[in-house]
Amino acid sequence: MQHLTDRPAIEKLTPIKVAILGAGRGGIALLDLLHQIPSIEIVGITDRDPSAPGLQRAQDLHIPVTDRADELVSNHGVNLIMDVTGDPAMEQFIHAHKQPTTDVLSGSASRVLWELVRHEANLQAELFHAEKLAGIGSFATGLAHDINNPLQLIMGLAENLADETDLKAIHEQAQDIVEAVRRTSAICRDLTQYARKNSTRDDTMVCLNNRLDEALKIARYATSFHDITVQKAYQDGARIKGNPDEVLHILVNLITNAVQAMEQGGGALTLATKKSNDGVTARITDTGCGIEPDLLDRIFEPFFTTKEPGKGTGLGLYNVKTIVTKMHGKITVESRVDHGATFTIIFPPPSEDHS
Amino acid sequence: MEQFTSGFFMPDQATNGRVLVVDDEADIRKVVRMTLQKAGYDVLEAENGEKAIETINYGENRLLLDVLVCDIRMPKINGVEAIAYFRANYPRVPVIVLTGFPDTDMATSMLRQGVVDYLVKPVEGEKLRESVARAMEQRELAHLQG
Repeated sequence: MQHLTDRPAIEKLTPIKVAILGAGRGGIALLDLLHQIPSIEIVGITDRDPSAPGLQRAQDLHIPVTDRADELVSNHGVNLIMDVTGDPAMEQFIHAHKQPTTDVLSGSASRVLWELVRHEANLQAELFHAEKLAGIGSFATGLAHDINNPLQLIMGLAENLADETDLKAIHEQAQDIVEAVRRTSAICRDLTQYARKNSTRDDTMVCLNNRLDEALKIARYATSFHDITVQKAYQDGARIKGNPDEVLHILVNLITNAVQAMEQGGGALTLATKKSNDGVTARITDTGCGIEPDLLDRIFEPFFTTKEPGKGTGLGLYNVKTIVTKMHGKITVESRVDHGATFTIIFPPPSEDHS
Repeated sequence: MEQFTSGFFMPDQATNGRVLVVDDEADIRKVVRMTLQKAGYDVLEAENGEKAIETINYGENRLLLDVLVCDIRMPKINGVEAIAYFRANYPRVPVIVLTGFPDTDMATSMLRQGVVDYLVKPVEGEKLRESVARAMEQRELAHLQG
């Protein structure tokens, strides 16, 4: 796998120029996948139906949309035409208009491609889930603490109630028991919600501030916040378009890492959001151990980890980056050793008109 | 807390011994206090290792503190560090660990360091009182041996 993503080799290649015919489900899947691949350039997409959903997606991605299929097909610059219209007549149309040097993927070949794309999406979902579950495995220490403490409280109070005679004390302690049970059941509820597979529902408007607060709650189970102060600098109305489960997943990852970087000696965790014309920014800053300069380039690579064996899968930040890229966002990191690290995600501004 | 006084060798008549409970959660300190007071112990509280060290070094506690009941996961100075300090500076004060984390490696390492008991929350009141009572006997033995 590594040799395919070898960066210097890609830079030397001229991108393969691709035209997509059909902007239905197949067209959207191709857009979402191909636009992430640096060696592929999508020169245009077309569909007979001007309201086909893929056309809007293409505009969001700044990919040219045209209603002139003949012009797109006959374009000299196109190396490959991908026909996902499902229209048997299209093949003839393409061959009538295309340049002799242009390749065509249509019929059952494009069906196979569509199946591969779907298969890849399923694998990715499995990978996200596997990494999330592996992460939850490392919650064990924190969870035992968070569950056993209220249990101790319940045990102690219940034993005391057996021979307590003061009515006021009985009422108070019974109330404390109820409160402790609520605390414990909240843990189970939060975690089972987080542990399930990310939903595959369509993107919705997601309140970033709310997701950060939720992620902070989950991260508290994962890791110890002792001697760590949390600062929030949220801008009101910081909203993005995306899958709420996936957004939570990436924020839990980043916050957990930030807190783990401050395990020795504590520090400050700052969560910030900001809206601008370029997009909506989430920033997670810690004052922990920082990242060595020569490792900064590698932290988003799959299976790269600086944690002890068994402590990290090396897939956390890789999945964070995959999800952010899928959402058409960008993630960057700045760090100084012993001073901390800042992860900044810029999500595209949510376009209100088609939500 | 009382200053060093001339009567410091004579603790309150009513008490069966003085126990310092170290836990970062006030609720836990409260129920452990309730549990131990039932057996006539005098209970002091500290919210972390740093406060625990301050408490034992304060006035008559230096001599009158009999048993330490200590959590592991705490802010500032955690249980492991605090227990190491107590074992080094007050080797005659028996230490009981009361933690939310069932960890056999941790338990083994603690018992090797001379911790007398490793209890995992939630622990029944009777069990905790028995453990403290055994620790008190050890403490008295240590006194007798001078």
